[in-house]
Amino acid sequence: MPFDQALRFASIWLAAISFIGLTLGAGLPEWLAVLTGAALIVAFVRNGGSKLAERFATVPSISPGGWNFLVIAGFLGFWVDLLWISGELLPAGIHFLMVLMIIKLFNLKLRRDYLHLYAISLVAILTSGSLTTDLWYLPIFLLYLLAAVWTLLLFQLTKHPEEIGMLTPPAPLWAPLHPSSGHVTPQFFWLANGLALATFGLTLAIFFAIPRVSAGFYQKGFGENIRTSGFSETVNLGEIGPVKRDPSVVMRVELSDGAPREAGGLYLRGVAFDQYDGKTWINRLNHRRAVSEDGMGRFVLRGDRSHQPSPPGETIRQNILLEPLDTPVLFAAPFIEAVSGKFPGVQSDQSGSVYLPFPSASRIEYSVRSRSNPVLPADLSPEPDRYPESFTRHFLQSPAQSKRIAALAEDITQTQRTAYEKANAIQSFLIHNFRYSLDAPLAELDHPLEEFLFTRKTGYCEHYATAMVMMLRAVDIPARLVTGFHATEWNEYGNYYVVRQQDAHAWVEVHLPHSGWITMDPTPPSIDSVTSGSPAWIALGRMMDTVRLQWSRFFVQYSAADQLAVVRELKAGSTSARNKAFDSIGALFSPLLAMFGGMTEYASKGTLQFAMELLGILLIGLTILWLGIKRPWSTGMVSKKTNRDEQAITQLYGRMVKHLAGEGIAKPPSTGPLEFVRIAQAKWNEANSAVASITELYCRARFGQTPPTSDELTIAEDQLRRLMVLNKP
Amino acid sequence: MNPTDIIRAVQENIARVIKGKPQVIEMSLVALLARGHLLLEDVPGVGKTTLAHSLARSLDCSFKRIQFTSDLLPSDIVGVSIFNRQKQAFEFMPGPIFANIVLADEINRTTPKTQSSLLEAMSEAQISFDNKTYPLNQPFMVIATQNPAEYHGTFPLPESQLDRFLMRLRIGYPSAEEEKKVLDRPQSLHPAEELQPLLTAQDVLLLQKRVDHVLMEESITDYLLAIVQSTRQSDLLSLGVSTRGALALSRAAKALALVRGRTYCLPDDIKELAPIVLSHRIMVARAQGLSQRSFEQAERIIQDLIDTIPVPV
Repeated sequence: MPFDQALRFASIWLAAISFIGLTLGAGLPEWLAVLTGAALIVAFVRNGGSKLAERFATVPSISPGGWNFLVIAGFLGFWVDLLWISGELLPAGIHFLMVLMIIKLFNLKLRRDYLHLYAISLVAILTSGSLTTDLWYLPIFLLYLLAAVWTLLLFQLTKHPEEIGMLTPPAPLWAPLHPSSGHVTPQFFWLANGLALATFGLTLAIFFAIPRVSAGFYQKGFGENIRTSGFSETVNLGEIGPVKRDPSVVMRVELSDGAPREAGGLYLRGVAFDQYDGKTWINRLNHRRAVSEDGMGRFVLRGDRSHQPSPPGETIRQNILLEPLDTPVLFAAPFIEAVSGKFPGVQSDQSGSVYLPFPSASRIEYSVRSRSNPVLPADLSPEPDRYPESFTRHFLQSPAQSKRIAALAEDITQTQRTAYEKANAIQSFLIHNFRYSLDAPLAELDHPLEEFLFTRKTGYCEHYATAMVMMLRAVDIPARLVTGFHATEWNEYGNYYVVRQQDAHAWVEVHLPHSGWITMDPTPPSIDSVTSGSPAWIALGRMMDTVRLQWSRFFVQYSAADQLAVVRELKAGSTSARNKAFDSIGALFSPLLAMFGGMTEYASKGTLQFAMELLGILLIGLTILWLGIKRPWSTGMVSKKTNRDEQAITQLYGRMVKHLAGEGIAKPPSTGPLEFVRIAQAKWNEANSAVASITELYCRARFGQTPPTSDELTIAEDQLRRLMVLNKP
Repeated sequence: MNPTDIIRAVQENIARVIKGKPQVIEMSLVALLARGHLLLEDVPGVGKTTLAHSLARSLDCSFKRIQFTSDLLPSDIVGVSIFNRQKQAFEFMPGPIFANIVLADEINRTTPKTQSSLLEAMSEAQISFDNKTYPLNQPFMVIATQNPAEYHGTFPLPESQLDRFLMRLRIGYPSAEEEKKVLDRPQSLHPAEELQPLLTAQDVLLLQKRVDHVLMEESITDYLLAIVQSTRQSDLLSLGVSTRGALALSRAAKALALVRGRTYCLPDDIKELAPIVLSHRIMVARAQGLSQRSFEQAERIIQDLIDTIPVPV
């Protein structure tokens, strides 16, 4: 491929990549995205050099004045957009940028126009970079970098030696190609890619070394916080149900020992509720106060159980990466002892819930130390319950209409003596006698709880938990409802829990006189699991999730503090800095290796479906590889037998022979090409020069394996055309 | 100076002596570059000796002529050991074969014993004498002549020995015009002696190496093999072309491409060379009638066969 054609391709490619970046990042309006996409496709086709291109080339072009008018119109449109339609600078600017790109794509004539297109592309890719911190930006950026290196190399190489300034004599695009000195050879191909790779390496080094502020300035304006339910001051019964089918990731939880919890998963506590009015739960103990910091960045909670002797329960250390949510609640395993993270302050209320001062607009990472309350032996022996009045006011409250519930609770617990045994009895009663279903329209009913317990006997976590709290309170055991997430999905590639919206859960905390609050869950395991699909795809999804997490952790959230740490370690002369740098790269790719291991393990089970899937992936990969190898850069190889130019001249020669046969000069099959030239010359002398030169090109390409240059091909085509109009005497 | 120009200069040089026979001059150069030997078969007095002589002169190579007669002995060609009185030892006196270009005139007039001693040297490029091996000069080329008109008292070369020659050429009478030019030329005893050498032996070796690098595309090789195959299957022939014959045709085609200034072979090269490279390697079937003119007949059969084989496109 000659340099000038390659330049056109690379330039349009560059524009296309920045367009894709902007589309993914900013969400262009459909009409603009379609228009720009169409403009790019047309530009590609016009520069494709095929028959189709010739047809497009004849489309009447607009004069420079017309283009200028369009640019001015676009600018006016930008003001209209800014003032009335979008009302904001950024979207209006992006729209204007796309309009400019379309105009330039149709008006690529001067070298100046190419520079304009590069500038537009650069602005577009920078804009998309500032709009997002997602993983997809990485491949887009890499592609952009590759294309940019190619374009700039080609732009320099196609420059005529005498052209010094930018404003060069117009080289008309649709005129026959001016002789370009170079071709894209395999050496050039690898050189350009190597340069791009080196640039990327340098970028990476600079990324880790140069002082920086932050990424994703405008992310807040565009990224919507995830809407959650069940974590505000009041929760209507049935509010959690609708989100139980939403698979979007809410947080990821790493445990200090790197291994999943044994059966049962991990409960991530959010908010506790004490008052129930028959339809709605309310948190009355919502007075928040700031948690003091201990000087090491840790916020230590002195919870509501400070009057009790602190029993040695199980300590759980978690590292939580929380997506931007619409609630300020910090989730963690019960019960939080200390929180540390990059936030200015933390608040807690009397029920042990922890909040940020306001919902975070970006992803935050924090570590928590929790301690669960075990059931103490003292609570296993019967003893009259003694609770202070403030306690009974909150945790023994129940709405008026629950006579039947109380009767049921008495019935279940009459043989049990201790509070713990009673709670267990109620829990097992609920687990075993009710059916789990998300299709329970109980929210509209007047008495949803009675409906659940006595009529429908189907419901989901909220109903179970509410029922259990009400029954416990009916037998004078303090209890409260807790909402949060129940993490069960363990990502074995990244060693963390993935918590999704659908993991939203409600359960019960029972207060035992000695042990304090203990967690109980009366909800049976749900049967209709939302995650479905073949194990291989789930594994792939988990692997992708891991890559996304590492991307966020090592690149997006790489902050000045991390940088300082790196510098400090470098100063200390330790090799750990290098290891850290490698780790961050390695961490991105380790899931791939892990997945490969998982795949082989899976394959050893020998399912047919897996084999088919693997085969499909392999086929796609091979096709891409094949397409990549087959494309123009293989022309430089001498041993390659067929290529495009050779085929072109062979076809041209065939057309010539056919034409001459039509004129009465047939070529017998046993006649050699040079012999045929002599025959043709003897019969039709005027045609001789054309026939001789086309034959020479043909012989050289066909038998000498030196395909003609595009100039020679153009000349040969021209000669054949003239030969065809020439009349044989 | 590129090889094409050098070769053209040599051709023009020889053409100053051999008038009106550019094809013969070209083919003799092809034979030289393809490291082959040449068999000239024509009536006396058409310039066979002059051709060989002027080729040798143009190349600045040593040239020896051996007139073959019925009483010629192998030692007359190869050389002889003579007792040296001063050294009190036998000493090898190299024969006329120790030259770059050897003209073997009327090769069919000598006995098969002598013929074979020459032919061994041609194929081995060395001779053995008294348990000693002596390498021949390089480049080494034998130009043999034979008279087709006079078979009386001759020992015709068997096919197996004819195979050693790369090509068999006829010179033929010049046209009346060219012949007139020959007569108008100032008469000299050895017109070839006036030529100036243009190439050294070393240059010739380099050119021979270059022939090896000429490209023969796969389809042309197939075309060549199709021709060879057709000679083996033809009813008109009792003996087809051997593999050595195919090899010879391939080498000659490469040399011709170089002589014509190309780095690759064309089907035309094969087509042009096949009659002169293959015709002395085949035997015409008895049914066709074994005439004195079997040479022309063989050439015609080969030509007919080529015309049935499609050229690669």
